[in-house]
This record gives sequence, structure tokens and C-alpha cells, in this order.
Amino acid sequence: MNIILLSLALLLAISSLLIKKSVPAMISFVLMMFVLGLYYINLDAKLLGLFQIFIYTGGIMVLMLFGVTIIGLEFPHYKKKPLNAVAAFAFFVLITTLFLRGADKLQHITTTNLQESTLFSASYSDYVIIFALIASSILYTTVKMSAVLKRKNRVKK
Amino acid sequence: MFEIEIVFSFALFALGLYGVSSGRDFLRIFFSLEMLLNAVIMILATTAHYLGFTQNIVLAYMVMVLATLEAAAGLLIFAAANKVAKVLNPDALQGEEND
Repeated sequence: MNIILLSLALLLAISSLLIKKSVPAMISFVLMMFVLGLYYINLDAKLLGLFQIFIYTGGIMVLMLFGVTIIGLEFPHYKKKPLNAVAAFAFFVLITTLFLRGADKLQHITTTNLQESTLFSASYSDYVIIFALIASSILYTTVKMSAVLKRKNRVKK
Repeated sequence: MFEIEIVFSFALFALGLYGVSSGRDFLRIFFSLEMLLNAVIMILATTAHYLGFTQNIVLAYMVMVLATLEAAAGLLIFAAANKVAKVLNPDALQGEEND
């Protein structure tokens, strides 16, 4: 069941990037997220699945609809970059190979040394550092972007 | 079983990577960014279920919230870029026109 759901999600993800019309691409993308929500429910993470379907998918759909009003009904045409596809495939092969080489050890560790996990007790500070880094990078990007737009606006005037 | 599901999430991540790096219009880049983050959430949920790393579910919630915020902020930037510079492609903001 999980494999079917994941195959469907992958197909929908591919189609959302390949379809040239914006609304069907968006619908395909939203369906992908819905299927992922079903997958989480199937994994016994019911709250995560419901959160994914009702809040994440719903919120993203509204935001993307706003984007569609700007883009228009069809995506603009740009030249294809096959080198990027090759690079992404190479990355996939590399990371899959590395994971499959170490997967047995991971399962061995978790089955022999399974302990009751305590939420955030050991690594709370690490998470804070990671999220601070992400938040600061988003802030930097926003400031940089607004500076670029201001410059562009000034040049235009 | 567990390995196959993780490999699927790697495939989704690679697909998102391709979408982001090919850098066409803003909307497709957002789709791809969401795919990248969904792949991460998928890995977290799968490892929580099969390997017992239950704290990953909390991290998955945090990534989900962050992804929604990122999409909102990104779309605002997109709207501003479109209003000021009349562009749909981020490369055009640097003065490099595609096609």
C-alpha cells in the first residue's frame, strides 16, 4: 500500500513539473501532497497526516493560487537544461548508494540498542542552532532581494 | 520495505533539486522547494515509524511550519519582483534573460 502511494506521489510530482499549464500543474502538486498525507496516516502518524492534508496542503494551495493569478494560465517557455537533470540523477544515485550501504548498520543499531526516546532532552540546543541558521538565511535573502528590487526600480525610473 | 520508502523520498528530493536548479519561473521553483521539504518530512516520518526515532515527528512538524512560512515569504517576494521588475524568472533580476 505504501509503495503504491509513494509511486503515485512521485508520478504526480513529475507531472507537476512537466505540465505546461499552470492550473493542472498546481492541482497535480496539491494531489501529491494529499497522497503524502495519506501515506503518513498509513504510517500511524495520524496527526501528521491530517496536519499535512488540512493545514499544509490547504495553505500551500491558496498561496499557489495567488501565484497562478500572476503567472497566468500557461507557464512561460524557457530553454531546457538537461545538465541539471543529469546532475540531479547523479545525486540520487550517489545518495541511494550511500544509504543502502549503511542501511543494515542502521537497522542493527536500532534493534539492538532501542531506548525510550526523550523529546528534545539531548539535542534541543542543536535544533535551535539549525533553525537559527535557517531563519537568518531567510532574513538575509529577504533583505538582499528587497535591495535588488529597489536598485532595479531606481534604474527603471 | 523501509529502504524502498527512503529511496522514494530520495527520488522526490532529486526531483525537487532538478526543479530548483533548472530555475525557470517562480511558481515551479516553489513547487520544487516544497518537494525538497516534503522529501525531508517523508524521511523523518518513515524513520520515526520503522526505526523508532519518535522525536523525528516533532522535527517533521517544525519543518512543515517552516515550509509554509517559506512559501508565504517567497510568494510575497515573487509578487514584489513581478510588480517592480515585471519578471517571472529570478534569473532576469540579475539581468540575465532566458530566451
